[in-house]
Amino acid sequence: MRFHPINIVRRPFRWAVSAASRNAQNVATAAVQIWANKGRSVLTTLGIVIAVTSIITVISVVQGFGNYMTNMVRGYGTSFIVVHPWYEGERHGHGMREPTLDIHDITAVRGECPDVRRITPFVFTHNAVVSYGREKAEEIPIRGVAEEYQLIRNFPADAGRFFGPVDVDNAEPVAVLGRTLLTLLECDESIIGDYIYIDDTRFLVVGLLAEKGSFGDGDQDKTIMIPYTRSIRMYPDRTRSMSFLAEATDEDHIDAAYAQIQRTLRQRHGLTVEQPDDFYIERQDQSLQSFEEIRNISSGILGGIVSISLLVGGIGIMNMMLVSVTERTAEIGLRKSIGARRRDILLQFLTEAVVLCTFGGLIGVALGYGLSKLASMHPSMVPAEVPWWAVAAALGCSAGTGIVFGVIPAFKAAILNPIDALRHE
Amino acid sequence: MTDGGDHLIELVDLHKHYRVGTEIVRALRGVSLAIDVNEYVAIMGQSGSGKSTMMNILGCLDIPTKGNYLLRNQDVARLSQSKLARIRGRQIGFVFQSFELLSRTTALKNVQLPMLYAQMSNKKRRAVAALEKVGLMDRAHHRPNQLSGGQKQRVAIARALAQEPDIILADEPTGNLDSQTGDDIMRIFDSLHAEGQTIIVVTHEEHIAEHCHRVIRLRDGLVMSDERRGRRIPIAPLPGRAAIAEAVAPPMQNAIAV
Ligand SMILES: Nc1ncnc2c1ncn2[C@@H]1O[C@H](COP(=O)(O)OP(=O)(O)OP(=O)(O)O)[C@@H](O)[C@H]1O
Ligand SMILES: [Mg+2]
Repeated sequence: MRFHPINIVRRPFRWAVSAASRNAQNVATAAVQIWANKGRSVLTTLGIVIAVTSIITVISVVQGFGNYMTNMVRGYGTSFIVVHPWYEGERHGHGMREPTLDIHDITAVRGECPDVRRITPFVFTHNAVVSYGREKAEEIPIRGVAEEYQLIRNFPADAGRFFGPVDVDNAEPVAVLGRTLLTLLECDESIIGDYIYIDDTRFLVVGLLAEKGSFGDGDQDKTIMIPYTRSIRMYPDRTRSMSFLAEATDEDHIDAAYAQIQRTLRQRHGLTVEQPDDFYIERQDQSLQSFEEIRNISSGILGGIVSISLLVGGIGIMNMMLVSVTERTAEIGLRKSIGARRRDILLQFLTEAVVLCTFGGLIGVALGYGLSKLASMHPSMVPAEVPWWAVAAALGCSAGTGIVFGVIPAFKAAILNPIDALRHE
Repeated sequence: MTDGGDHLIELVDLHKHYRVGTEIVRALRGVSLAIDVNEYVAIMGQSGSGKSTMMNILGCLDIPTKGNYLLRNQDVARLSQSKLARIRGRQIGFVFQSFELLSRTTALKNVQLPMLYAQMSNKKRRAVAALEKVGLMDRAHHRPNQLSGGQKQRVAIARALAQEPDIILADEPTGNLDSQTGDDIMRIFDSLHAEGQTIIVVTHEEHIAEHCHRVIRLRDGLVMSDERRGRRIPIAPLPGRAAIAEAVAPPMQNAIAV
């Protein structure tokens, strides 16, 4: 083999120049063809438009919903741990057993676990009756907590104040109200400093919680927080199921905090190595993780459905290309008779398919974008978001569909013998 | 250089068989002939005698079953697809009985098409010159469906000659036209021939064949006769080509002017 360095340099250059001019020509030819067959082009494109529109819309809504959920879960705080007084797998521990967590456990955890930054007992009452003057609200959940709860769970008071350590120590009858209570009790912020009755005990309203919105079915603002010491006094039976929330120093120390709490409690409860925990530690970051998992799985499933619709669109394109090739076999024959190479024919039809698909894809992206914006306008809908990768994927898929489904008929056309093509009926 | 002569075209024992179901149709059964530069040949013969079959092979639109086709001493059977495409685009101008123009594009664009595939420069200028030669410049921007049969065929001829091919092959170019229009077409060929163009025309009509100086008659896939005639249109030896073209073939404009 002998090398001709000049040829090696020149050839690709000349090839590139001629390829560029041919491609420009092909796009022009394709555009002319598409324009000449407006009706058919529109129908073909429609398949792709619908496919891409559905991709974009579905992905954006899923994405928007996912973001909403993630933010919601994050808003709860993710670096805290809930310790329940029941065995793992047991539901709400309404057994006849003695309560397994007491206030001394909490004190011990506070003292012995260096990676626990904050801790609060949690005594929950589902349905208290609350009254204010002549107004009355029923089935109000009451959370008996320590003042640190507002920091752990990100529940600040935005009017008045949250109760403080002294209120907790003295089991003062003070309450912080969620915003929904204002509606239920038909009053406004002036309720701060006034008295309400919770299950016939008089409470001083000291503050209002910042609005949280609703999550799923639960209205996060339909709640009242009181010192847990007061809860224990009012609802002694609820003390059985007292749990506590512990916040790790940061998200990276959740594992350490978890281990420390587990060790402390097992020690205090005198459990031997064989015995299982008589408490259950629930991690919030796990629920975030499993939520992400669900989100990814559902995205995958939806992606699958969407690919099917793309496939259907692609088959539409293939069908159109086949018809177009058959219809235009004589034209292909003529083009070959006057010097078109197989490659030129192939490229012409491929370009046509790709241009159609890309065009359809662009319209689909625009429509999908519009639809997701429209969907976002519905009051109970979360704001949808169109991620750039969805646009890229949709456009890539539609152009890809064009190539894949354009190749077969284009190849069929390109290998025809000129005279056979010309005389084809 | 191969055997003996330096012919433009040489067919050696050419066969073409078609398979129709289980039957084999022998359209050409051993055709041998040679055609030289600047010949003006008519191919005649009964319907089904193999004229079109032969023309298609000459135009590299089809391949022979057996035998050789040498174009400028080059065996066409050995060429790659893209070389063949190049020959179809540059060396041969094919004129079809049914014109075969792209219906959605103008006459001018139709004429430019082969040059586009051959990547020639000055496409527009050449196309305009070709249209002028066939006297159709005033219809350059018309589409085929806005042209008469004779005009369409003239566009097709312009397309065939624009890239200055070695040979123009015309398979019954006047078959779809009335005899007056057919004669107009033949006068264009006459003038092209006078300029030195090699032309091969298939025809059924004696008065068309009379324009040519050589008539090859086929019968059942074989050459029956091959006769040369006195040249009706002398190749003028001296004056410039353009002058001859004007003198010999009165194009449309002249006709209108008279
Ligand atoms: N594609 C084909 N398949 C099968 N047979 C064919 C094919 N093309 C031509 N033939 C047969 O080959 C023979 C020669 O056909 P061809 O078209 O060359 O004739 P022709 O001389 O051009 O006739 P005409 O004057 O009618 O155009 C005929 O018998 C025809 O039936
Ligand atoms: Mg014929």
